[in-house]
Amino acid sequence: MDEVTKDRIEQLIDYIMKKCLWQFHSRTWDRERQNENILGMTTQILCDEPVTAESLEDKCYWVDAVYLADAYKKRYPWLTGMEKPEIKSLMQDVKKRLDHLTITGSLNEELNDPLY
Amino acid sequence: MPYHLFKCSESIPEREKHAVIKGEGEDLTSALPLGYLNTIPGSISERGCAYCGAKHVIGTPMKDVIHMSHGPVGCTYDTWQTKRYISDNDNFQLKYTFATDMKEQHIVFGAEKQLKKNILEAFAAFPEMKRMTLYQTCASALIGDDINAIADEVMEEMPDVDIFVCNSPGFGGPSQSGGHHKINIAWINQKVGTVEPEITSDYVINYVGEYNIQGDQEVMQDFFKQMGIQILSTFTGNGSYDELRGMHRAHLNVLECARSAEYICNELRVRYGIPRLDIDGFGHEAMAASLRKVGMFFGIEDRAEAIIERESARWKPELDWYKARLTNKKVCLWPGGSKLWHWANVIHEEMGIDVVSVYTKFGHQQDMEKGVSRCEIGALAIDDPNELEGMEAIETLEPDIIFTGKRPGEVAKKVRVPYLNAHAYHNGPWKGWEGWVRFARDIYNGIYSPIHKLSLLDISKDEIPTNVGFETQRMLSDVNLSDEIKNSPTLREYSGKYDCLKGLREKTYPEYLTKKVSEAV
Repeated sequence: MDEVTKDRIEQLIDYIMKKCLWQFHSRTWDRERQNENILGMTTQILCDEPVTAESLEDKCYWVDAVYLADAYKKRYPWLTGMEKPEIKSLMQDVKKRLDHLTITGSLNEELNDPLY
Repeated sequence: MPYHLFKCSESIPEREKHAVIKGEGEDLTSALPLGYLNTIPGSISERGCAYCGAKHVIGTPMKDVIHMSHGPVGCTYDTWQTKRYISDNDNFQLKYTFATDMKEQHIVFGAEKQLKKNILEAFAAFPEMKRMTLYQTCASALIGDDINAIADEVMEEMPDVDIFVCNSPGFGGPSQSGGHHKINIAWINQKVGTVEPEITSDYVINYVGEYNIQGDQEVMQDFFKQMGIQILSTFTGNGSYDELRGMHRAHLNVLECARSAEYICNELRVRYGIPRLDIDGFGHEAMAASLRKVGMFFGIEDRAEAIIERESARWKPELDWYKARLTNKKVCLWPGGSKLWHWANVIHEEMGIDVVSVYTKFGHQQDMEKGVSRCEIGALAIDDPNELEGMEAIETLEPDIIFTGKRPGEVAKKVRVPYLNAHAYHNGPWKGWEGWVRFARDIYNGIYSPIHKLSLLDISKDEIPTNVGFETQRMLSDVNLSDEIKNSPTLREYSGKYDCLKGLREKTYPEYLTKKVSEAV
């Protein structure tokens, strides 16, 4: 991965870490669902693809995704100059990095506790 | 691993994994303290117990309830009026504290009769109160008093009363967080779904994890009402017992705290299909994001935008006045629980203050994940600190101010570091646009109070300067500012009222037709 891409991933991750809360739900199963849905919808919005929010739960993901996509566009002008396949690839890397930080590489010992 | 072992804790090496310094290039996979474990023997902690967490933090803000502790009267000491959980019910829940006053004879012979007698006396003394929460304590739990049975007995004899039993004795968890958990789940299991609420809006929320410290809930309630949103219940600040029994009818859970408050939202999601949206109420940008998100969820974002535009225009110049004077000041952000992550980034961005340390006394690693990721490089993060570690951190980091509870706060004062009570604000509310400016004002007043400058003198050896005249906060804060900032025509000091809640309770709100009504028309 080139340095520019790495730097861009870190910028996008830094925004999520400093401004969002949804990535830190209390258990692995919850974090997986949050990361998958919100970043998936954010990618669709950034690529001007239609987003379907059928259930009430989807609507919550959609709200966070719209907010994140707006913030990304405002803060990172380089994003709007990218082609859609590039955005998709970048967002996939962002998700990988976020999954690593909050799930697979996390030091949080309670993530896999089966009980509350 | 960037763990940090305090010098004072060298004899307790296990403590090393409870503190980290966030280094350059490090992330949560290398910098995260351990948390929510039993306190290490020998390391005297500042934690509260599980009973304290259940009663003091979560239960007591409920406003129309007799909160009865079944235990020695001493158990109520630490829970009596230490937080400023105000209510629009004449602060009943703050003014009166109830305990069954268990003594040695009750430990030997049992205290169930004593409990029943006390319950009946309390209902007789306050006949307008028909709701009660019974809290177990270590003493009554250890002797096996069956408080559920007594509650059932009373409810059978007095059909107009309702009693909630909270079985969270002090030993029920490593810290007060164990009590938060127990009361949340107990409420869901025992009470939610037992009252059918009246729905008056198309947009109905439960506001979860808000405890109305100095009126924070009322500030948020005002915004939601302006948007035409019905707050079915607030869990639990300024909350009513019966409203909280009807939580199952909300369309959305708006969550503003962590951990145990999450559990109640997750259970409401599983049992009743109500989704959950996490928000931040502190800071201008966070407030705007929160209202915008709730508005988007319901499709009424225009109502949110109107509030955001008006409030930002009104209060931003005042926040910026303080930011100019607080930039580069250092704070130890030691609030105990969730405020470490509510404030860590937004204080830095919107007030210019550097957060040099965060701690939590009872938070889980999840709280620290949020705190560590939101604070800046170099910050020292501490889980469950003891007093000596706190002192060592203060001496090393030399903060200009500390936000913490009153016990560690009083210790900080002894080494002449000003503190703001982050648990029970001095001059709140601090939520909302105006509230955030009030917080900035309080920080400013703390840092620049001339009395703190005087307190740095040791009159036993320092020479008392006689050539310094009268000094004001403004003289201290403006000394290095440019003329452009000092004479700015746009920036201004806080101009709100002393009591910014006054009037909210009598305020009228726009009436929006519900879909049912509008369709009929």
